[in-house]
Amino acid sequence: MAERTPLSELLIVDADVHVHESPGALAPYCDPPWDVALRSVADVPERYLDIPGFSPGGDGTLTARFPTSHEATRMVHTPEQMVSELHQIGVDLAVLFPDHLLKLAVLPQADYAAALARAYNAWLIEEWTSRHTALLAAIVACPQDPEDAAREIERHADRAVAVYLPCAGLDPLWGHRSYDPIYDAAQNAGLPVLLHAVTVTSPVFPFNNHGFDTEFARHSTSHTFSVMANVISMVSTGVVVRFPRLRIGVTEAGISWMPFVCNRLDKEYLERRREVPFLTERPSHYVKRIYVATQPIEEPERLRDIVTLMALYDGDDTTVFASDWPHHDFDHPMKLDMVPLSPEQRAKVFGENALALFGIDREGRRA
Amino acid sequence: MTVVGRLADFPEGTHRIVTVDGREVGVFNIGGRLYGLLNRCAHQGGPLCAARRTTGTLVADADSGWQPRWALEGEVVACPWHGLEYHVPTGRCLAFPEIALRRYDVVVHGDDVVVSPASSHRPPAASGR
Repeated sequence: MAERTPLSELLIVDADVHVHESPGALAPYCDPPWDVALRSVADVPERYLDIPGFSPGGDGTLTARFPTSHEATRMVHTPEQMVSELHQIGVDLAVLFPDHLLKLAVLPQADYAAALARAYNAWLIEEWTSRHTALLAAIVACPQDPEDAAREIERHADRAVAVYLPCAGLDPLWGHRSYDPIYDAAQNAGLPVLLHAVTVTSPVFPFNNHGFDTEFARHSTSHTFSVMANVISMVSTGVVVRFPRLRIGVTEAGISWMPFVCNRLDKEYLERRREVPFLTERPSHYVKRIYVATQPIEEPERLRDIVTLMALYDGDDTTVFASDWPHHDFDHPMKLDMVPLSPEQRAKVFGENALALFGIDREGRRA
Repeated sequence: MTVVGRLADFPEGTHRIVTVDGREVGVFNIGGRLYGLLNRCAHQGGPLCAARRTTGTLVADADSGWQPRWALEGEVVACPWHGLEYHVPTGRCLAFPEIALRRYDVVVHGDDVVVSPASSHRPPAASGR
C-alpha cells in the first residue's frame, strides 16, 4: 500500500479566513463624508463583531453570558500575524474575508455601504494581499449598490482572486436581476463569486430567527439557510444560465445542505419547470457545479458519512477546504484529514480544487 | 396494427385514449396530424393522456433575453397527477430531455384510424424547444 502523503507536504489552500478591519483602519481609505463617521466610532469599545453604525448587533448578544475560556473572539490584525498563524495550521494560500463587513448587507444606507466596500477593498489589497503572496483577496461586492460593486470588480480585477457576496441580512436574495452587473463584471474578470453569511437576527428572510431561544439554534441555521436560499434564488432566476462562465462558491455552511438542495430542486422542477424555462438541465446539475467550502465540516459519528455526502453531490472536483481562521468555529486541517478520503480526493479538496475555483497556480498567482 | 376508430372520432385539437394490444394509448390530433403516446407517465405511472387538453408551454433562451415566451401551442401535455410535461409529437419530456415516452404510429386507412407500435420509440434529436 502506498504511503500516505503527510499533510504537511500537501498543498493546502484555505478558501475562507478573516482579517480584522476596524473603523479607524478603514477611515483613511474611505471617501468623505463617511470617513468622518468611521473616525467617530474608531474608539468605541468593541464587542465581537458589534460596533454601532459599522457592524450592528453582535452574535450572541441576545443570550446570557457566562464566564468561559473558549476564545471565541480571536482576531487577526496584521498580515504578519495571519501568515504566522496560518503557517502553524499548515495553510499555504488563503483567501481573505472581512470580520465586520460580514454584516455589510444589513446597513440601510446604500451610499455608506458602498463607501465602506470601496474602503475595505482598497485597504485589503494595500495593507494585506500586496504584502504577502500567501494572502489572496476576496473583494467585497456591495449589494446595496450593484453598479458600484461592478466598478470595484473592474478596478481590482487583477489583484483579487474572488468576489465576496455578503449574505447576512441580504434583501433581495442574490438571484435578483438587480445584481446582474456584479455577475457580468465577475464573469468578465474571470473571478468567482463566493457567498458568505454570518449570524444576524433581522426581519429579512431567512434571518427572521426570532423564534429561537439560543445561539445554538441561530448559528445552526443562519449560514446554511442563507446559502440555501441564495443558491435556490440564483438557480430559480437563471443566474446559473445567464452567466455560464461564472464560477460560484459557497463558504461557511458545511456540505450537508448540498444533497438536500439538489434533490429538493429536482423534485420541484418536474412539476414547475414552466417557472424556470431557461434551465436546460435538471436543477441539480447547476447546483453541483457550485464549489463548496468544507468549514464548518460536519462531525458525524461516522466520519465516512462525509465521503458519502460528497458523493451525493458529485463533489470530488468542487469541494474545497476552508478553515475560517481565526473564528470561534474554525476547522484545523487535521479535522478534515481524519475523513477517509481517497488520496486523489484528499489532494483535490485540500488544494487542487481551489486552484481551479480561484484560477491560480500553486504560488497563488492568477493563471 | 389496431383499428381504433374513425377519423371523425379524432377531431383536430382533441385526443382520446384507445387500447392497443392491451395497452392504453393516447391518440392526439394536432394540426391535422395524428400522434400516439403510451398513456403512462414516466414519473409515477400517472394517466398522462387523461389530461383534459393539450396546451403550449413556457420556454426561454438567449434569443428571448432569457425572458419566458409561450411556445409549442397545442403540442404539450402535462400529466394530471404531478404536471410533468411532454412534447406530444416527439414524446420528449420537457423537464428531463433524457426521458422519452413510447410512441405509436397512427395512420389513416380509408376512414379508419390505425395504431401500431412505432419502429423506434425514441424521438428525433430536435424536439422543437
